[in-house]
Amino acid sequence: MDYRKVAEQIYEKVGKKENLVSAAHCATRLRLVIADNNKCDSKAVEEIEGVKGVFFASGQLQIILGTGTVNKVYDEFLQVSGLSAATKAEVKQAAAAQQNVFKRAIKTLGDIFVPIIPAIVASGFLMGIMEALNFMVNNGFVALDTSSSIFVFANLFSNVAYVFLPILIAYSAAKAFGGNPYLGAVIGMLMIHPNLQNAWTVATEGVQVKQSVWFGLYEIDLIGYQGHVIPVIIAVWVMCFIEKKLHKIVPEMFDLFVTPLVSVFVTGYLTYSVIGPLFVVVENGIIDGIQWLIALPLGIGSFIMGAFYAPTVVAGIHHMYTIIDVGQLAKYGVTYWLPLASAANLAQGAATLAVAVKTKNARTKSMALPSAFSAFMGITEPAIFGVNMRYFKPFVCGCIGGACGALFASITQLGASGTGVTGLFGILLCLNMPVQYILMMTISIGVSFALTWMFGYKDEEAQASSASENSVEGEYPVIEETAQENVEKVIFAPIQGNVIPRENIPDETFASGVLGDGVGIEPETGEVVAPFDGEISSVTETRHAIGITGPGGMELLIHVGVDTVKMNGDGFTVLVSEGDKVKAGQKLMTFDISKIKAAGYSTTSAVLLTNSDDYQSCNVVKTGKSKHMEKIITVE
Amino acid sequence: MKNFNYVIKDEVGIHARPAGILVKEAKKYQSKIVIVKDGKKAEATKLMALMGLGVKCGDEVTVEVSGEDEDTASQEIKAFFENNL
Repeated sequence: MDYRKVAEQIYEKVGKKENLVSAAHCATRLRLVIADNNKCDSKAVEEIEGVKGVFFASGQLQIILGTGTVNKVYDEFLQVSGLSAATKAEVKQAAAAQQNVFKRAIKTLGDIFVPIIPAIVASGFLMGIMEALNFMVNNGFVALDTSSSIFVFANLFSNVAYVFLPILIAYSAAKAFGGNPYLGAVIGMLMIHPNLQNAWTVATEGVQVKQSVWFGLYEIDLIGYQGHVIPVIIAVWVMCFIEKKLHKIVPEMFDLFVTPLVSVFVTGYLTYSVIGPLFVVVENGIIDGIQWLIALPLGIGSFIMGAFYAPTVVAGIHHMYTIIDVGQLAKYGVTYWLPLASAANLAQGAATLAVAVKTKNARTKSMALPSAFSAFMGITEPAIFGVNMRYFKPFVCGCIGGACGALFASITQLGASGTGVTGLFGILLCLNMPVQYILMMTISIGVSFALTWMFGYKDEEAQASSASENSVEGEYPVIEETAQENVEKVIFAPIQGNVIPRENIPDETFASGVLGDGVGIEPETGEVVAPFDGEISSVTETRHAIGITGPGGMELLIHVGVDTVKMNGDGFTVLVSEGDKVKAGQKLMTFDISKIKAAGYSTTSAVLLTNSDDYQSCNVVKTGKSKHMEKIITVE
Repeated sequence: MKNFNYVIKDEVGIHARPAGILVKEAKKYQSKIVIVKDGKKAEATKLMALMGLGVKCGDEVTVEVSGEDEDTASQEIKAFFENNL
């Protein structure tokens, strides 16, 4: 095929340059934005050699050329038409894409944190209480038997999830990035190896050991990454990237031996020598900036820091803050930093509390409530990562509340006599100014709660922007049927169970993506429901796989178990037949999990978009335990 | 148009896995490749349609190849069937 000729003909028929706004292409289609559709002869375009179809959709003229052809025609088309990548429309698109990166980053944080929330909520709550109790005992506020087993053990339990937080994060991140979660955990462990100096001690003790790296090129501080979040996620991302590449290159015979070894070693070396130290430099710069900021007069600096405190928790810099407290205590005898931190923490807690009170969704409520209390005790990770960041607006409201509280604290010269306890019990450090402390708390909590209540959270928005958690047993969300192409194409979980990345399906064909992109589900119940409104396009004779065509032409294959074709239908009951129109949530098939297991096959079921090549992207929005009809994939 | 008949030897027939690799193979060619079984037709690039044919081990199918590269395509597809199906 002469790509140049095809491009020239298309250019001619769509009305030449004056009628063209922009050009783009996806896997199979040339997508043109046309100024005036009447000046475009789509019939004639259809007759051009190589063109397999033409239609208007999503405000675009879409010309189907097919995989492998479309990109070549596109290149020629750009030359012929003189369109450049810098047309106004594309710049706009680029801007939108930028925003998506940010949104995607937040979503990724959510995907990583949500599964570990139960662990850190429990621990955080206990930690808040234990820190307060310890402080009260040490300063004679209460008399408690600190040698009792309950007290001693509770002290141990309370911080364990935070001491080893990088491991939890690494495991979860590796899962989210499609790598081996156990290797991910190893990277997490590497970063807090007991032989490394604990990061929390750097503020008071300074760096103890240095290590020359890259054959003497430079020296790094040999310290652990306790309390860090972002470097851990980046390290695990790097590891997953290396691991996946290696799986492709390394011959199968050596894969089990070579791939883990090389991915862990390379990632570990990069982490210790580059990723970690870079973050330390950035962190030190930020700390210097903060020191300068809070010295600004009239509470301006405190106001700004009150707002930015929570984002620094997200970045994992807060473990450095002891240095500010200690410095201020030495200089002024009190620390003005601690009330600021309290204001920020309380405000985040209040934002979460507002979500908890306002939402009608049982699951959101059950997560938000303990997270909020934990934040009031000064442990904000569950609230920030589990709730506020996910819906984002509550996070912003919390930052504003924190800023207001910090401003008040600064104006009234509220200082704390020690460090270590923030939140409600932080008042114990401010017993000389209790009224100011209470007012500071009232302002932070009040502003943040009120803003979140009014602007920060709506169930409807939250459901649309995050994974649908609405599916209380037997009650599936209603999806409106629509014929528009640009409507969001969503695949809901057809099977209840643990959703895993496609790459982890224990079957090479499914995992490799030959059959299309999608996910695997480790089923908990033997029931398959329709993942969207659609038509049954195929039912295999062996009753273990169903094809269904849905909105926007999505063709989805639901294949129950691996190799289950060999069971010849035993244990499978299909409730629909080819050509049936089905509604989202309608029961399609039942299967007997124990029979599949007894026959020696994996029950992991593949849910694959077999024509994913026809779309720009197929995004898995939820992994881990899912109920029927939770939103698991969006398609663009 | 070129065509040939073939009796499926793969024990599961043209099911998910074999169908998937067939689709991948068929997409390599410009020619349109159609699988015919008992009068029912399916384009080899369409997984759902292929699986809908319900081709089992021992079934005979006709493979029709038409298009610019039909000579090479039909030869290679035939070899592909012999090696994989």
